Formats: sequence, structure tokens, C-alpha cells
Amino acid sequence: MRIPKSLIVATVLIFAVVIQTTLFGQIRYIAPDLVMLVVILLALTRIRPELVLGAAFLSGLLVDLLGSSLLGLRAIVFTTVAYIAVRTMERAGIGRFTVALWAGILTLIGVVLLVLIGTLFGQTSLLGPSVASRILVVPLANLLLAGLAGPLFVRLVDGDATAFRFS
Amino acid sequence: MVNREPRGHTLPLLVTLIIFGVLLMTFDVRLQGGGVVGVLRTGTQTIVAPMQKAASYAVNPVADVIDSLSNLSNLREENIALRRELTEAEAALVGVQDQLARLEHFEQLYDMETAGNEIGRTVANVIGRPDAFDAALIIDKGTSDGLVVGQPVVDTNGYVVGTVRSVTGGSATIVPITADRQGLTVIVGDQIGSLLSQVATDEMRLEVLDAREPVLAGDRVLTSAVSASFPAGLPVGVVIGDAVPRIDVLTTAVALFVKPDTLRLVVVLAWPPDPITASSGEVIGPAETTTTTSETSTTTTTDRGDS
Repeated sequence: MRIPKSLIVATVLIFAVVIQTTLFGQIRYIAPDLVMLVVILLALTRIRPELVLGAAFLSGLLVDLLGSSLLGLRAIVFTTVAYIAVRTMERAGIGRFTVALWAGILTLIGVVLLVLIGTLFGQTSLLGPSVASRILVVPLANLLLAGLAGPLFVRLVDGDATAFRFS
Repeated sequence: MVNREPRGHTLPLLVTLIIFGVLLMTFDVRLQGGGVVGVLRTGTQTIVAPMQKAASYAVNPVADVIDSLSNLSNLREENIALRRELTEAEAALVGVQDQLARLEHFEQLYDMETAGNEIGRTVANVIGRPDAFDAALIIDKGTSDGLVVGQPVVDTNGYVVGTVRSVTGGSATIVPITADRQGLTVIVGDQIGSLLSQVATDEMRLEVLDAREPVLAGDRVLTSAVSASFPAGLPVGVVIGDAVPRIDVLTTAVALFVKPDTLRLVVVLAWPPDPITASSGEVIGPAETTTTTSETSTTTTTDRGDS
């Protein structure tokens, strides 16, 4: 029996949200944005780009609903990042290092957008203590995670053991 | 490498979703987190909270190990500082116990009874945070434990943390005062002012609009009886720079007693107990603390507030 892709995507995203808000919510110094990373890596799978954008929007909305910032803020940011990811995914397919670098750069774009749009809408709490270090640490953590688990994630979601195997 | 269908529909979809997102944001701003948005938040948190609780139970030890490892270099210094603080606290405790004994003696002597103003306290575990940029705390207690939106939250030492932003049956979201845009009404000496959050720092800005006298570094900042959100007399922080009034306005920086991102336990105060006592300017002492024995076991206790 073949499991529907939408079910896999929904399960992975909910798992990412739960881990993000519990495990990574309690670690002060190493703080990846797991949900944003999953959204970025979904662009590398064979899932339709429209579904990737929809999943990005809904997962952003879910994180917004669980937090205290404006509803729709992360939805916009995640959707924009997913769009850039879909448009640039060919550049990531060279090797494990490029996947990591690509995910790190997209996360950097995402967190900068989050801070910019949030500040425009009066969410100054996003510019809390050590905001500059967080803007750098989150993409670096995502870069590491993408390098370690990115190709495996694509293989799991696509159900294709040959996908993203680099010689 | 990866063959997919043409991406012709992605740009219109992106524009549509962004417009929808902006509409949601403006809607949220207009409703100030209430109405349909509040119901949506509560509904979502109700569904996700059990998963978060289960995950938190499993990952808490892992989080502790990673947090300790990443902070290993500071642990030794922190340990020395804590031992010094413990010695000072034990010395202070002896003094307080002596004063308590004398107070009890005088109460018996004059046949005094307590006023009966009680503030319920619910101890809760912090089970998570939304992400690295959202300062909110998610706790494992909700309406079934008596929590309601707007209740004040302190740490286990009685220092101000924030307020309950949203609440479900078994969980609640706390917004620390550092992330609250509304500010907090406080008292320094006998002057009432507002404590406002600042950008890119955990210090807060104290503004006294009708300032009559200077404030000095080391002055304690307490919640004011004028505050609608907190009982009066809760310790918030300490002034870190001398400031004198300019015309009649005084501004200075305040270091908070609490760092919200390090909290694992918080105490939610059932305040105001009722509208009548809320309007009477109830004061509770900063020394009142709730005794907790472990991170995993939480209790609801009721302590007597000084009137």
C-alpha cells in the first residue's frame, strides 16, 4: 500500500512543529528552525510545488497559532522561503555540501524576512536580546542539520532509496 | 536530477498566499489577539498541547544534556557564584526566621488574625517555546487547573515573569514582560512609572512621567498598585544607572531579576481573586515563595498575601 504524499507531508510537519516547540524550544544556544528547514527540504522532493507552498503556509500558520506573535507572520515568511526554494532547487542537487549551504542561505533569508516583516507590523519583541547572534545561529544550525539529514529526508518523503545519493 | 511539472502556478499562488497572510496579520492587529483569532489559537493549542506534553516528557533530559554541554564553560563560575549566593541566602534566612518568630510572638500577644486575602498559586512546568524569535513560554497547566487569560506569572522566587496570553484545557502560553508591547506599571521608591521593553537587549526602560526626585542604581523596581495586570509589591528588577528628572521626565535602564529563556518552572497567580479585592490595592510581599521539590512534580498551593 502506498501512503499518500499529503499525509506524509502533514505528519512530518506536525512532528517538526512538536519537536521545534519542545526540544529546540528548551535549548538556549543551539536553536535550529526545524519547521522552516522541513519546508525548504520539501522543495527538493517530487512533491508538486503548489503543495510545497501550501504546506509552507499552513505550517507557518500553525507555528503562529502556537506562539504569541502575529497570526500570518511566519505563514508569509515560510511561503516566501518555500517559493525561493522551489525556484532554486536545481542548484542544491550537486552534493551534500551544496544542499547544506543552500538550506542555510534560505534559512538566513527566512529569519531576516521574519525580523523585517515582524518589525514593520510592530512585533518589536522579535528583536529581543542577542537578536544578531540568533540571526546567524539559526541558519548555521539549519545548515548543519540539512547537511546531515537533508538527503535522507528527501529519500524518506519520496520513498526513493536512490534519490540524492552523491558519489 | 529532479523532474517536476512546470512551475507556472507557483507565482500566482505565492501572491495569493501572501495577500491572505497580510490580511490575517491586519485582522489579528485589529482584534488584538481576541475574537476569531483567539478561538483559533485556543483550538490549535488544545489539539497540539497533548503532543507537546508527551514530547516534552521524552525530550526534557536530552534538552538538559545539550543545554549543559553547550554551557559547560560557564558552569564552574556559575557554581561558585551560586554557592556564594547560597551562603548569603542562608545567613539572610536566619535573620528572617528570627523576625518571623518575633512576629508570631506579637500576633499571639495582641490576638491578631490574618485578613483572609488569599492568592491561589499554580506551579507549572515550561514545556516549550514556539521558536528562537518568539519569547513566549508554553506551560503544562490550563483551565482545568484554574488558569485564565491575563493572570500574572512569577518565577519560584516571586519575581515577575509575565502574563497568561492564551489558555487551553491543559496548557497555556505566557508572554514575558520583555515581549509585551503594553508595558508594566511599576513603582520605584514612591514614584510610579512605566517599564517598557527595548530592542536587542534584555534590559527594560523605566519612564517616570511625573518625576520629582532622582532614582539611583540599585533601587528596586516593584509592581505598582495602579497596575491592572499584577498585584502590587512584586519585585521586577533593579535600576542599573542613576537618573535625574529632566523637566519632569525621568528615564533609565532596569535589569530584570528573571531571564525568561532560562525558566523551567513558573508560578501562575490567581489574581485578582475577585473584583472587590482587585480594586482594594492588595499587596503581597516579595519574600513569599512557593515551595517546589522537583521539576516533574507540580502542585497548586495557596499562600497568604499580606494586606
